Amino acid sequence: MIFEIADVIISGLINGSVYALMAVGLTLIYGVSRAFNFAYGSFYSLGGYIAFLLFGLSFINSYFLVFLLAAPILLLFGFFVEKALVAPLRKRDDWEIKVMMITLGLALLLDNAYQVIFGARMKSLPPFLGGAFEAGDFYLSHQDVGIFFLSIGGILVFRWFLNNTRTGMSVRAVAQNPAGAQIVGIPKEFVFAATFAISTVMVGMGGILLAQKYFITPMGGWDILVKAWVITAFGGMGSIRGGLYAAFIVGMLEAFVGWYFGMTWTLIVLFAVLLTTLAVRPQGLMGKWG
Amino acid sequence: MLVGIWAIVAVLPLFFGGTDFIMHILIMCLIWSVVASCWDLIMGFAGIFSFGQVAFFVIGSYTSAIVSAGFGVPPIFAVFIAGGFTALVGILVGLPCLKLKGAYIALVTFAVHMILEPVLKGDIGQAIGTGGTRGLLSIDPMTLFGYTFTTASPIPYFYLFFLVAVACSVIILLVIRSHWGTAFLALKDSQEFATCLGVSAFKYKLMVFALTSFLTGMMGGFYAHYVGMLSTRMLGIDLFVTLMVILVIGGVGKFPGAILGAFITIAINELLSPLGPFRPITMGALVVILVLLLPDGIVGLIQKLSRGSRGRLSPKVH
Repeated sequence: MIFEIADVIISGLINGSVYALMAVGLTLIYGVSRAFNFAYGSFYSLGGYIAFLLFGLSFINSYFLVFLLAAPILLLFGFFVEKALVAPLRKRDDWEIKVMMITLGLALLLDNAYQVIFGARMKSLPPFLGGAFEAGDFYLSHQDVGIFFLSIGGILVFRWFLNNTRTGMSVRAVAQNPAGAQIVGIPKEFVFAATFAISTVMVGMGGILLAQKYFITPMGGWDILVKAWVITAFGGMGSIRGGLYAAFIVGMLEAFVGWYFGMTWTLIVLFAVLLTTLAVRPQGLMGKWG
Repeated sequence: MLVGIWAIVAVLPLFFGGTDFIMHILIMCLIWSVVASCWDLIMGFAGIFSFGQVAFFVIGSYTSAIVSAGFGVPPIFAVFIAGGFTALVGILVGLPCLKLKGAYIALVTFAVHMILEPVLKGDIGQAIGTGGTRGLLSIDPMTLFGYTFTTASPIPYFYLFFLVAVACSVIILLVIRSHWGTAFLALKDSQEFATCLGVSAFKYKLMVFALTSFLTGMMGGFYAHYVGMLSTRMLGIDLFVTLMVILVIGGVGKFPGAILGAFITIAINELLSPLGPFRPITMGALVVILVLLLPDGIVGLIQKLSRGSRGRLSPKVH
């Protein structure tokens, strides 16, 4: 019993850490540019499929190389998508709904393209660390520990980037006041595209990390989109710290509900908690209206 | 414009009446034109990012099927009960949404969509008679004054749906033309200012939730009795995107556009069916291209052309 609960807590922590990475990416786009990306889940699968393709190449033998190669691909892809699809819509009055529509179209396009290219069957990635810590009934694989620390590391790197680099500071400036940022000479359009690209990298990396545990499927991204969305709304859209707390709460909640009531209940309980939170605090745990 | 569209649609059976397959597609066009128009009313006119339209449709169809099978209510009344029930659900969903903004509303309404499938398939659904994963396989056909509509003779069915669709579109048009429509516009442009002028955001937004979910749920009921079987497959992403394509082609917030969009989209969808797995890819690409190139849809394009030919420029109002 005690080991079972420990297992549940550990799985909640690990899922929570990856959710945090992905939710921070989603909250970043919304916080900076007020754009909602419906194709976010498809970018998650994209990360998994890129890693799958990279592993097919003969000279790739370690996850280090995969991350090194996948990150620039995802970065360029995100940048291109923002420039080509989202940026032209910004001039319009009703651009928010248009962005939702165009990214939904993109999601449909990508998901079905995966299905045609890779087939509907699940793809798996090799685990990036073998072995496990074992003590009696207690079992903790090195892979899980690695995923946890990589996600947390990713968030810390992102934090460092936001606080200490010039691009990061301009991202924060645009988030606080787009007009003011433009007046002091920050290239707003570039910052929008850059945040979109960074968030694509974050969710793609999340895809690579989770694909080792949960496989890659063409439609698998929808679940992730909904979870990242719930987490961002729960934590407060545009609040990175709120997203972080919310991700761990959701990860834990999911693990415990799944263990106690069964997996079909997780989504229902998740939305019940979300609705209650939004009814009491419409701006989420740590969000601000803006 | 609305009269023109319906006049053309009314004579279509004269040409296609002999082909059951095309009649079936036309009936589907009528159904989706109403559902898409409702979505346009709530999203394009009232400015509420509701993503629960498909969910309301499915709730309506299941309610009607269960009510008619379980309580022996004639289908013609069951569809209105379904509409009423869906309106109730719409109000319940609308209530929390009134305090929320933009993407949050999209999330809450989409949440209804996401929860619906596990609920209908799970224990709760089986208890109220949704048939679980199998779905409902035999739903009573529609009867009216002792006459039973069957899918074998689609022309009477077509005109039944035609009348319903015309009625719904007239209701929607009246709402848009009335002081409701003006209130929606004012609320969409600036909620603070409109509220200061005495426009109750609470009342109007709740009313639009109730009205659109009533019409959508009722249409769901008609759909259930027409096709005779239901499953949770409707909640997949395909139908959702088809509705969105209808709105994109017709133009968001350009009312008869959604009806025009429904006929064009369903026709394109059927024409693309030889492409097999490439069809959804093409649909996705179509959404992306159309949003970029034709942001106001066909109706927007027509308006632009007719304005251009008169050589008059309309000032852009912010």
